[in-house]
Formats: sequence, structure tokens, C-alpha cells
Amino acid sequence: MSASQSAVRSRAEAVKASRTFDWLICFTLFFVVLGGYHIHYMLTGGDWDFWSDWKDRRLWVTVAPIVSITFPAAVQSMLWWRYRLPFGAVLCVLGLLLGEWVNRYLNFWGWTYFPVNFCFPSNLMPGAIVLDVVLMLTGSMTATAVIGGMAWGLLFYPGNWPIIAPLHVPVEYNGMMMTLADLQGYHYVRTGTPEYIRMVEKGTLRTFGKDVAPVSAFFSAFVSILIYFLWHFFGQWFNKTDFVKAA
Amino acid sequence: MKLLKDKVAKLSFVALLATVTASMFYTPTASAHGEKSQAAFMRMRTIHWFDLNWSKDEVAVNDTMTISGKFFVFSGWPETVDKPEVSFLNIGIPGPVFIRAGSWIGGQLVPRSVSLELGETYDFKVLLKARRPGDWHVHTMLNVKGGGPIIGPGKWVTVTGSMSDFVNPITTLTGETIDLEDYNLENTYFWHAFWYALGLAWLVYWMRKPMFIPRSIAVESGKADSLISGTDKKVAMGFAAGTMAIVAIAMGNANEQYPVTTPLQAGLLRGIKSIELPVSTVAVKVEDATYRVPGRAMQMTLTITNNGDSSVRLGEFNTAGVRFMDANVAQDETGYPDDLLAEEGLTVSDNSPLAPGQSRTVQVTASDAAWEVYRLADLIYDPDSRFAGLLFFWDESGKRQMVTVDAPLIPSFI
Repeated sequence: MSASQSAVRSRAEAVKASRTFDWLICFTLFFVVLGGYHIHYMLTGGDWDFWSDWKDRRLWVTVAPIVSITFPAAVQSMLWWRYRLPFGAVLCVLGLLLGEWVNRYLNFWGWTYFPVNFCFPSNLMPGAIVLDVVLMLTGSMTATAVIGGMAWGLLFYPGNWPIIAPLHVPVEYNGMMMTLADLQGYHYVRTGTPEYIRMVEKGTLRTFGKDVAPVSAFFSAFVSILIYFLWHFFGQWFNKTDFVKAA
Repeated sequence: MKLLKDKVAKLSFVALLATVTASMFYTPTASAHGEKSQAAFMRMRTIHWFDLNWSKDEVAVNDTMTISGKFFVFSGWPETVDKPEVSFLNIGIPGPVFIRAGSWIGGQLVPRSVSLELGETYDFKVLLKARRPGDWHVHTMLNVKGGGPIIGPGKWVTVTGSMSDFVNPITTLTGETIDLEDYNLENTYFWHAFWYALGLAWLVYWMRKPMFIPRSIAVESGKADSLISGTDKKVAMGFAAGTMAIVAIAMGNANEQYPVTTPLQAGLLRGIKSIELPVSTVAVKVEDATYRVPGRAMQMTLTITNNGDSSVRLGEFNTAGVRFMDANVAQDETGYPDDLLAEEGLTVSDNSPLAPGQSRTVQVTASDAAWEVYRLADLIYDPDSRFAGLLFFWDESGKRQMVTVDAPLIPSFI
């Protein structure tokens, strides 16, 4: 066999080789994306994702979608334009959540004994599914950015509410009112996380009526649109193969 | 010759591998005492912890202990550290080996950050409930915004029992009693597993069919539209609609199940009550202060004036949590950590009772291995070579008075 001859001798072999490539690429892509996305998300939205007493109605709802739409946008651009594969966002979030759960269970719980009901990650899956579907149905980056980006921001809090609602039940503790999440943060000592560092419920534009979360969600949705555009272009730039000479 | 070289190389490599493997199995216990890593000037001139008491040396899982005492917010607070306008009474333990069941400053519960004033003395108490068995070094600690953690003295406390027995019962305002240790855990696992499975289903739907090479060929030959079928679009719309419906229904159910919820509580606590200490009737002027580098002693020349109506004697010099005591005047009966207690570490050139109205200039030496071990001698490396501390005087009736000192400290190399 030489470089000028085909590596496969029949169509059946070609199909098998192609399928092997599929699994190899998927496996590698999954873990590479997991690593990169996880590090990125921890460095930008870290504490809001780590602790239940950081999951508020303002900063968590605003920051988490904005910093987490990044890799889904880039990976979508990579998988859609070349391959018309509409699972970029879900692939990213599956990787991220796997990495986060391994970290929370083995490290936060297994090593430092923080209870898992205190350090569980945020759920990003609803927004990821909708983002992928919008790209698939519209085939348009602009439409995905606007409609999908909005959905990404708006679905974040409702998608997580069934998980965090029980922790927002109030308690009276030694004469002060706290939520169960606040009490978790108070009880389970974090020497490196003094209470003043907790960036929750801060800011001026507070309510529309009495509800705070929708204001934050809409703001987050708008900024997610912009971030989607930016990172989609990052993805396209990284996907360039100009440096590979045609065979 | 080449054969010999190869053999040597091979053996060296094997030796290296063996060394690396052996070192991986050697795991000495790590017991870090982070307080020594903080700059000496910071420990001496920020928060002075005194009258500390660790209620127990040994406590079983689920039992409680307290750390109580006082802290003085030093008036000569260093400029290099932000003032304690936003501070948090924390506890220095290796993770949640205890839970903090309560913390109070001036009798007020302080689960949030507080504003403290320079020159004031506060009493504090932290209630800890044992959670994880082991030997733990338990420190007092105050976090200061813009300054970082100011760690106080630590004492070894042993927790016995089993962590699986730990419970943390809490009764909510809605009348339900829950165990905060594992409350809502199943619900969290359920929703995460559910959404993960849904995401996997979307992924598997596309991975069933050939992915990269065939689709790339199709796109490049202009047949991209053929890659998404009508069925694919219907399935996709089903996923999207289903996702939004599940989110809406689940949120509605959560609101029904938990109709009473409040936002996270945050905010600064002000108006923390300080202790009103009686005005000191002893005045102290630091004439000079030196320490030998390297060394274990600090000398100061003090002019002490007794403006009270009872004779006084100097019994203790407390700096950075290290207590230098004159055993003839005062002894510790609180079980203070041994490594921070120099029971006979204070020597005064003339420590006879100083009568009311009298003044005396004395040489005071604070000497103990703790000076070196706790890196107080490293003051030479700090950007502000000043020392500070608390002097405690006792009168004839055993009443104690506290006087603060704050003066330049000159190193001596001869």
C-alpha cells in the first residue's frame, strides 16, 4: 500500500472506517470540550455554580447564561456548517455537567465533605436543547443568536427552579430569617468564602412590579445574544483549515 | 563500550522509575499552620484575640463546643490593610469538619458581614457542632474585606464517632422539620439525571446515523439540505416543545409544592455592640524596642505610670496570639494552646508592685521559641517595622487592666 492508493478496498470497509472515525472524533471532541468548557465556566461563573447560597435571583440568573453560552456557540458553528450536525450545544452541556458532577461528588463531597445538596451544579440542558433545535430549524446563525440566545437566558431560571425552590423555604434561626440555602452557607464552613464575598442580590435595577428574576433573565437573554455572535465567530475562526494543504 | 553505556542508561532509568514509584506511596501527614504564613506586622497590628476559651478538647459527632473570647480592633491598624468596615466572623477549620451552629459578636447573631470600629473591643462566641471525626486545629478567624483572613490562635480538638451519624435537623417557617445534611438531595439528583437523559437522547438520535465523513462529503457537494429530513424536523420540534413544556410544568409544580419561598438574605449588619472597658489607670510609654535577628526575644524599654489607687504589676504581653507571661504575676488557667503560651516568657527588670502615683522605667523582655517558630522575627521583612500588642497589669485585688502598645521595632544584628 502507498500514499497514493486508497486505504480501503471496498465500500463496506469505507463505511466501517467512517463509523470508526465517528466514534473516535466524538470521544475526543467530548472530552476536549468538557475540559475547555469546564475550566472556562469555573473561571467565569464559578462560585455562582458551586454553592446553593450563591444561586440568587440577580447575579446568578444574569452571569451564568452569559458566560455559559460561549462554548455551545463555538461548537455549534463547528458542527453545523461543515457537517449539519445540530448537537453542538447539547454536546457541550453534557460534557460540562459530567465534569461538574465528577468534581462536585468526588472533590467537594468526597475530599472536603461539603454535602452535595449544597454544591450541586446549575442545570443548563433546557437552553441547550432549544439552542440546537433553533439552529437546526432555521439554519441561520442570526436567528439562532436572537431566538436561541433569548431562550438560553430565559429558560435558565425556570429550568433550575424545581431544584432550588425547596432551598428557598424560609427559617427563623436564632432570631433572624434566612432561607435554607443561606443556612447551608452559614453552617458548612468555608474559610475562603467570607459572607461579604457572596455576590448575591446586588444591583440597582431591582424589580418590575415585584419580581426580580424576570428582569435579570431578560437582561441575561439580551447579552447572551451578543455573546453568541462573538463566540460563533470564535468557533468559525478556530475551525479554519487554511493551513492544511489540499491533498 | 556501547553495550555498557546502554546497560547503564537502562539501569538508571529503572532506578528513576523505582524512586518515583516509591515516592508516590510515601504520604506524610500534612498539618499546615497557615497563621505563620501571614506577615508578622499584620498579626501584631490588626486583631488582638484574648481571653480565648475552647470549651472542649474532645467532642463527639453531633455534640457541640464553643470558642469564646474577646478581640480588640487595633487603633493603629496598618494602612496596607483595609479597615474592618466590612468583616466576617469566620472560623479556621479544614472544611466543614464542624458546622457553625451559631456565631455572635456583642450578643448579636452574625451570620452576615459586620462593620467594626477601630479601637473597640468586642466579645464573641462561636458555637460549633462536630461533624467529621479526626484531630482538627480550630482557629478563631476574622475575614476583612480588602484585607483577607486574619487568623487567630488555634487549638487541637478531637472529634470522635462516625460522620454517618451526623444529623442537622432544622424546622422551617412552614412547619416542616428537615435534615439539612441531605435535604432535597434526591430531588436534585432526579432533575439532573432527567435532563441529562433528555440531552443524551438528543445526542443519540443524531449519532445513530453516520456523522462526520459522509455528512462532510454531502455538504461539500452541495447536498446539505438532504441531511435534515422532515422526520428530523418533527423530532426536533418535539424536543423543543417538550423541553419548554416540561420546564413550565415543573416550575408550576414547584410553586405549588413550595408556595412560600423567599430570596436569599444578604446585607451588612451594623451597630455591633462593643464592650465598654473601664478607662485604664495605667499609662505606658514605649521608649524603645528592639529584637535580635535571628533570635527569640524582644526587648522594650517602658515607662509605666500608675494613675490608679492600687499597686500594679505587669503580668502579660500578648502579641499575634502569643502570650508572654510573668508566672509570678499571672498564670493561664484556660487551657490556652501550649505552643502559643510562654508561661515564663516575660521578664521585667523590676516587677515589684508599682505604687499609685509612681512612675518607673523598666526593661521588659519577651522571650520564647514561639517568637521564632511563629515567625514574629520575620518583622524585618515586612514593609512596616512596627510592633503592637496588649499589656496586662494586675492590681493588688487581682483586677486586670489592658493597655495597648504600638511602637517602632528596631532589629539588632550584633
